[in-house]
Amino acid sequence: MAGVACLTLAACAHQTAPASSFATPLPGDDGHVGYVRMEELVKVHPLYAQLAHLDEDLQALQLKSVGPGIAQNGADIAAAERRLQHELDVAAERTKKALGDKQQEYMKREQAAIDAAIGATAGAGRGGAGIVAGVAANARTQAQTAAELAQKNFDAYRRQVADQSNAAARSLQRSLAERAARTYRAKAEYLAKSEADFALSQETDDAAERLSLRTKLSNLALDDDSRADVKKQLDALDQKEADAIAAMKNRDAQTLADLQKSVHDSTQAELNAEVAQLRKRTIAKIDARELETRRQLVAQLGVPALGGGASLPNGIAPDMRTRLQALHKQYQQQFNADASRTIAQFQKTRSDLTRRFQRIAGIDADAQAGANKEMNALQKQRGDLYNEMVAQIGREVKLVAQKRGINVVVSDVVAPAGGVDLTADAEKDIESLHE
Amino acid sequence: MRITTSKRLVVALAAIFIGLAAFAPATLAADVTDIGFVDQAALASIPPFTSANRQLASYKATLDRQFAHEMKGVHDPNVQARIAQEFQNKLAERQRQVFGPLFQRAQVAIASVASSKNLSVIVDKRIMIYGGQDVTASVLDLLSGPGDPIPPVNTPPPSSVGYVDQSQIDAIPKLKAANDDFQKYQADQQAQAQTKLKAAKSDADRQAILKDYQSALADKQKQEIAPLVDQTRSAIADIAKKRGLLLVIDRSNLIYGGTDITNDVTSALK
Repeated sequence: MAGVACLTLAACAHQTAPASSFATPLPGDDGHVGYVRMEELVKVHPLYAQLAHLDEDLQALQLKSVGPGIAQNGADIAAAERRLQHELDVAAERTKKALGDKQQEYMKREQAAIDAAIGATAGAGRGGAGIVAGVAANARTQAQTAAELAQKNFDAYRRQVADQSNAAARSLQRSLAERAARTYRAKAEYLAKSEADFALSQETDDAAERLSLRTKLSNLALDDDSRADVKKQLDALDQKEADAIAAMKNRDAQTLADLQKSVHDSTQAELNAEVAQLRKRTIAKIDARELETRRQLVAQLGVPALGGGASLPNGIAPDMRTRLQALHKQYQQQFNADASRTIAQFQKTRSDLTRRFQRIAGIDADAQAGANKEMNALQKQRGDLYNEMVAQIGREVKLVAQKRGINVVVSDVVAPAGGVDLTADAEKDIESLHE
Repeated sequence: MRITTSKRLVVALAAIFIGLAAFAPATLAADVTDIGFVDQAALASIPPFTSANRQLASYKATLDRQFAHEMKGVHDPNVQARIAQEFQNKLAERQRQVFGPLFQRAQVAIASVASSKNLSVIVDKRIMIYGGQDVTASVLDLLSGPGDPIPPVNTPPPSSVGYVDQSQIDAIPKLKAANDDFQKYQADQQAQAQTKLKAAKSDADRQAILKDYQSALADKQKQEIAPLVDQTRSAIADIAKKRGLLLVIDRSNLIYGGTDITNDVTSALK
């Protein structure tokens, strides 16, 4: 739509002046309104070649960046997405495994360092170290058992909460569906009753006429033509009633269809909102329990249960515990740094795959952003140049207007009517700028 | 006797003037100095507008994120178009909410200034090449002052400047059909040019493709749009002359007053 608007306006502005326009100075110009066709004046400006060049660049860039490109069909896109999803899954699995391996490795190193520290402090030689190692091994077994038990309890709790949540969602769904059905049924019953009332009122209204017609028909002396005529009237009466009732039924059917859609949509929206809230609460409950389980585990084992740390036995002297905790912190930091690198690699792979996902869906964000940036820069350059040209043209037009005693000059007119066209005079002045 | 002659002369002259005034279009009698202009860019830079702009930009950024999220995995062009339309509607609605009261206030301020300066029409500064009264400062004063500007008692006086609402003219079925057809043709040509550009090996090839594309559009425009443009221009000019207007501008360039001839033009074109 805007296209025609622009085209129409532009074309109107581009038209050669009508025969009645004032091409040369006339005494009658004094005090009149003048106008110029700015686009024509821009074309004769010395800088127009640069402006046209910028326009071409912009158009070329637009062709390059805008539009769907080579369209892919749905099956191709789905296959490409499956391939990319597989790559992403493989990368995620690889990362998970690498992190697990690293965690194990750091735990082993830390455990070895802890064993060595405890062994050296005990000063009990191989025998003492062996006892300490045995205590540590027992502690690890206890920790593992406690962790497994905690996990089992937590899993049971999670299942239970999830089941409760699902049951609540199903119950809510049933309740909303019943409410929707009641609303629909009530309306349907109301409309059916209205239809029955209407049919009855039709019949009552026409009863006298119908009785009269039937009475006529029962007259044996009625000739054939008159009988046919009365029957026709009776049929027309029936038809009129049937049409009115059918029209009402059609309207009601449409009303019911609209109601059904509206009730369905609102019920669905309500259900979605409620279920979302329900899920949020469920997740919060599970998260809280998980946190609580971790806390209990930490309290029970006396060490942080997460983050790849090795387990410490209970009953260690405070200074040794401090030393061992420092050791743990050191390994933890090393592990975190190493894990961060692995995760960064995965993030990079994922970003790359995301870009490829977007590209096959036709949204090449980076390329589009680059092209947009370039286009914005060109648009600005073009705008600045155009404004500069228009300002210079304005100065020339002002001189022309003053020479011809015209008080007001505008551009971009849709139709000239009685205004004075100064385009030709201004063109001459602007062309002289080339010299 | 001399007195009687003199009286007759006065009466005759008065009759001539009254006759002239009656037959000349009323608007031509208006002085062209009753045209004013406003720098809309200056109005847009005052704090309420800049704040509204920021507010809208922030909302748009949020919408952009939601839009990207909703478009994920959607390949059906119809669904994509529906989603895009929904988001455009949301943005337009917010724009109305944010800017509506500001525009209304600015409009009252402009009308008030125009009335106090006896201006029949106020246009956008961009189209005013020379002359006219710049009322930007007065409008800014009113807008920046305490309280709401008071609307003028009188409606704008008749103006020798007419205007048309091009969007209404474009909605006339035959113009709309031509425009739709042209848009479709342009989209087809664009798709073809894009495919060719992908296969192009040199700058010369690309230049040639671009030139062909421009030439195809120009031909189509000449063939389908130009005759309708001529017809529209001619209708506008005829009506403008009949109504005694000096010139006609597009509504988008008009800020206050003016004589609306859109209905006359659409009727003439139907």
